[in-house]
Parts: sequence; C-alpha cells; structure tokens
Amino acid sequence: MRHYEVMVILDPTLDERTVAPSLDTFLNVIRTSGGNVEKVDIWGKRRLSFEIKKHAEGIYAVLDINSEPDAVKELDRQLSLQESVLRTKVMRRETA
Amino acid sequence: MPKPERRPGKKKPNPLITAGIDTVDWKDAVLLRKFISDRGKIRARRVTGLTPQQQKQVAVAIKNAREMALLPYPGPARS
Repeated sequence: MRHYEVMVILDPTLDERTVAPSLDTFLNVIRTSGGNVEKVDIWGKRRLSFEIKKHAEGIYAVLDINSEPDAVKELDRQLSLQESVLRTKVMRRETA
Repeated sequence: MPKPERRPGKKKPNPLITAGIDTVDWKDAVLLRKFISDRGKIRARRVTGLTPQQQKQVAVAIKNAREMALLPYPGPARS
C-alpha cells in the first residue's frame, strides 16, 4: 500500500456540483482493489496559467489515496480517457 | 523607501525558515510564486537565499506546479 496524491483538472463548463459524485464513481476502482480514499478536495474553479485545450479556467480536484500501484495506474488511465478531464497528475507522497 | 543596506558577506534571511516550512508542497502556488520572476523563471539561489537542498526542492515543486498550470512556463514578461 502506498500513499498517492492525484490532481485532476476538469473542464470548467461542467457543473461544479456534479464533480464530486462523478469523481466518486472513478474512485470505485481504488475501493474494489482494497485501497481507501482518504480525502477528496475540490478546489473549485481556478484560472490556468496557460490555456489547456483552449480553456482558460479549470476545476481542480486533489485526491488523497492509499492504494496499490496498479489500482492508481488504472484510475489515471480511466481519468485520462475522459473528455472532460483536461489533465491529471499522480504523485507519490512520502509519509513525513 | 530604500531597503536597509546589507553589508557585503551578510547572509539574507532564509525565506522558508522564516515561513516555518520544512517540506515544500508543489500545490502551494502562492508560496512558489515568490521564487519565480515576472517572466516565470525560477530565481537563482543567490536571489532567494535558500540552502542548496531547499532550492532543489523548490525547483522541483515549481516544475510540477507548471505541469498542472498552477504556475506559468518562462516566456515574455506579462502581468
């Protein structure tokens, strides 16, 4: 088990209220493989410092996850297939 | 108002220690903004007054933050 931080930038045209439930469906990959989701932090809309796919803004979300490497890899793959996900980043967080 | 003149050889105050931060978080764009110029370049260590280890941490954090559009990539000056 390892601790991961996944940051996701979502399409700003999405309704912010639908973000949490839709992210949650993706997180089932983690849960079914024995990992657990520590925190889902939705920052909300934020200006991007440069355009991504012609969008000047994005909805940021940070997921704190304890899970196996393969499960996170699968989560990242599924997120990146989504049209509404502009960008993802997975970071290993060392337990300080 | 001019800043108080620093005598040569006198060290700058370390900005991370004064802020009470020991590990740099790449998601903290407000903090990292202090270490980039208005063109988006990472400031040199002699400007930031960081230790070599901290400077490396900050540099890696800035590069990660850039990938997620939290900070700009270097380019022509803009405000």
